[in-house]
Amino acid sequence: MVSELFKGLREEELDIEPTICARCGFCTFVCPAYLDTLWDSQSPRGKLFQLKDLITKNKAIPADFAERIFKCTLCGACEEICQVNIPLLRFWQLARGEIATLGEWPEIINFIDNAIQNSQNIMDIDQDDRLIWTDMVDDLVEGRVQKQAEVAYFAGCNISYKGTLAHMGENTVKLFSHLGIDFTLLGENEFCCGNPYFVAGDFESGTKLADHNLSELKRLGVKTVVFNCPGCHRAFSHEYPHLLGKEAIEGLEFLSFSQFVLRMIKEGKLSFTNQYPHVVTWHDPCELGRHQDIYEPAREVLRAIPGLELREMKHNRNRARCCGGGGILKGTNPVMSVRVSGRRIEMAEATGAEIMASECPSCTMSFNDGMEGRETSIVFKDLSQIVVEALDIE
Amino acid sequence: MLKERQLTELADIVGEDYFSSEEYMRKLYSQDIAALPGLVHDLLDTSVSAVAQPTTSEVVANLLQYCLKERIPVVPRGHGTSGYGGVLATKGGIVVEMTRMNEIYNIDRENMTVEVGAGIIWGKLIEELEDEGLTVAAYPSSAPSSTVGGWVAAGGTGIGSTKYGGIREQVVDLEVVLPDGQIIKTTKAGIGLFQGYKGLDYMYHPGTDKYQWGPSGHDKPGDDVTGLFVDSNGTLGIITKVKLKIIPLRTIQPMVASFRSRKLMIGALKDILEATRPFYLHFITNDFYRMLGEVDKAPETIGEWIVLSTYEGSDAEVAGEVEKFHHFVSRYGGTVESDEIANHEWAERFYPLRIKRLGPSLAPSEVYVPLEHLEEYLEHLDRHFKGEKYAVEGAIDDLGEVAALAWFLDDERRKISFLMGWYRSLDFIKLGLQHGGRAYSIGMWNAGHSLSFFGRKNYGLMERMKSQTDPKNRLNPGKVFPASLNLSIRFNLLILLVATIAVPVVLWFAGLLVPDLIMAYVPWLMLQDVMSVFIAMVIGLLIGVVVVEIANIVPITFLLAIGAHFMRLGRRIFKGSK
Repeated sequence: MVSELFKGLREEELDIEPTICARCGFCTFVCPAYLDTLWDSQSPRGKLFQLKDLITKNKAIPADFAERIFKCTLCGACEEICQVNIPLLRFWQLARGEIATLGEWPEIINFIDNAIQNSQNIMDIDQDDRLIWTDMVDDLVEGRVQKQAEVAYFAGCNISYKGTLAHMGENTVKLFSHLGIDFTLLGENEFCCGNPYFVAGDFESGTKLADHNLSELKRLGVKTVVFNCPGCHRAFSHEYPHLLGKEAIEGLEFLSFSQFVLRMIKEGKLSFTNQYPHVVTWHDPCELGRHQDIYEPAREVLRAIPGLELREMKHNRNRARCCGGGGILKGTNPVMSVRVSGRRIEMAEATGAEIMASECPSCTMSFNDGMEGRETSIVFKDLSQIVVEALDIE
Repeated sequence: MLKERQLTELADIVGEDYFSSEEYMRKLYSQDIAALPGLVHDLLDTSVSAVAQPTTSEVVANLLQYCLKERIPVVPRGHGTSGYGGVLATKGGIVVEMTRMNEIYNIDRENMTVEVGAGIIWGKLIEELEDEGLTVAAYPSSAPSSTVGGWVAAGGTGIGSTKYGGIREQVVDLEVVLPDGQIIKTTKAGIGLFQGYKGLDYMYHPGTDKYQWGPSGHDKPGDDVTGLFVDSNGTLGIITKVKLKIIPLRTIQPMVASFRSRKLMIGALKDILEATRPFYLHFITNDFYRMLGEVDKAPETIGEWIVLSTYEGSDAEVAGEVEKFHHFVSRYGGTVESDEIANHEWAERFYPLRIKRLGPSLAPSEVYVPLEHLEEYLEHLDRHFKGEKYAVEGAIDDLGEVAALAWFLDDERRKISFLMGWYRSLDFIKLGLQHGGRAYSIGMWNAGHSLSFFGRKNYGLMERMKSQTDPKNRLNPGKVFPASLNLSIRFNLLILLVATIAVPVVLWFAGLLVPDLIMAYVPWLMLQDVMSVFIAMVIGLLIGVVVVEIANIVPITFLLAIGAHFMRLGRRIFKGSK
């Protein structure tokens, strides 16, 4: 129905935002999608201009425009630099939700939607295989699955099912064991965190997943949940309370891997004594940095490692550029995603660092893809890898 | 509208990926930063047929040659971050957007210059120079998104201008593609370019593809005409490369003081300017600061009249200046605010539009006013704009002038009131001129001030060159050199329709009111049957055609001058109406 157009934006009173946009264009030269094409139609400013017209005239988003909206990585750089403080991240999520109601989702998102509906994970693989990532550390997780414990590790779909990312989960489990942490894994009861839905603007479908995951954690008596994936972390700490109310997450705290490690250091439970003589540059994952304002823990952890030299990229912290993996761009536009990651790798190379580090499965995939076939001496490592190597734990 | 053949050939010249004639793209590139009242779009159709993004000077040259031959108007554009109408089309045609020419070609440490593509963003250039321990001496407050070439073309002052002057003072040399496609270096071109341009048929490269670039014959050294291209809004040629002055990257120390009254603040501004050499001296009025408070961007200060004075130089130089600053602030009962506030205000130098959220629209205006007249000017504004919500800020340049910038809060959804409110931007400038000021930038809306802005001699030279290189006024028509209205198709049709209906209606009324008079003198105008109504409609249509023709030659500047009076009156009547 025509009157239902832009319902999500109108309900949250964000339909006025395109009119508030000052058209200053500050968002353009920080936007990975704009920088990829240099056409204003791809910039936040340009898209707001077009949406203003559509919202005012109550016209549906045309298919070609919907495609452009899905070229956004939801990195949030536009919101960070916006002169008039438009909540652009939320705005783009709702715009994608509008596209969902028009039935214009990109094919890959329909696939993910079906996969989650069928099997509670984005890969459409049986939930019985949820713990496939623990194959190399099976001795360390024995008896841990669905056990009552105060600490839980939430791996997320990417780490659970993608072999190239399994090391992140393995490293975290190794660290837990090294520290003697009593932890639990949800196993087959770990459902997708719902982030793909939040990214694609379908909050309702994400609600059921949120409800399930929180119930499971509470059932096991969990108080602290540790994540290697900032997407899952953000879903739990920001989207879940937004959907279910703040009381839904009461008694639970959600820590990124770096926050957890830093806490252990500060509590005197962990210290680095071995030399790790490497130059490292840190990439802030968007979903941890700009989305949640968590910039320093990883840096503090890296600085605590003897011999490690941390060199900042020109654009760091809230000005960090996107890896190209956000917003499901890797699924909707894989080639563009590699171009975006290439630009970030260039910045890392410019620091002269040997290692480009981050803490995010999506960034890991993007940078590994970006470095493939590229003549570069820099390598990518997840923070968990550096921590485990520096501690020399098996 | 352009023909399919022309679109194809233009795409061939610039490259398919760098050319678009899609509707949404045309709309995007047919506007600048300012939201215009709906009626303005009907009086002045700013739409274009296509957008081209050239990658080299040679492509620009080929584009201009082609457009000259095909009589296609060309509107050069940086990143569209100005609001003076300088990038708005007035006769259709194509937009040539320069952001792909964004390279740094050469950093010359010996002569302290940098040569860049006109489409490079200031923010990017500054970042790159910083890596080399260098920086530019002045940059616009729109630096995160505006292009170097755009600022050269639009002119003005910005951050650093208190010490180092505006963009005019920064430009060392320009590469410009003239309307006929010739590429020149302005330092080599010589004043002859503006006095006796003979056309350059010899420049075309023989025997290659139709529009491929060939060597230029124009390379005579002579008088430097660089300055004549600054502020010219791309009317004399498209700026493709810019050589700028650079300075070493040294200590930057922002200082903020707050004052309790306008008088005290202005007194302090004058003394600070006289006794110290700020890199950037800027003030915010109390109304502006309150509005910033409403959007949570005004840290608590003792006074509400805020001065930001930033010093640049060696540590010792800066320390000396800061000491003097403290002295002059206390002399006027002001408070030097904390470093935190100073750093906040310095970071906010790029964010003058914060308050737009309160609108949700903003009508801007800017004018230079001598610092010695600032107090009277601000008082005059208070009287003149009583009841209007507006904020004023100002930055002082190296000539002791204040670039006074006003932001009038408005709501474009209230169409009539928003249209009428346009007078404020015009009056802000008019009052500035009354107080000894001058226009800030010409663009399209200020084209009526061109003569006083450029000076008779320079404007004469520019006119002469324009008439010789671009006699049909195809390169950025309507900018600097005033142009006429360009009614939209629907407005033209509306005039024809109204005239076609109005004439029979008027005659019918006249027939009722004064039938004897009509029968006695013009009996053929009496509506008696279907045929006579038809004839009256045809007459109406013909009158409509005449009105359309006349309306389309009314100068924009004339309409603005006349319209301001009506808008002022209308604003009082319609203010607050939907």
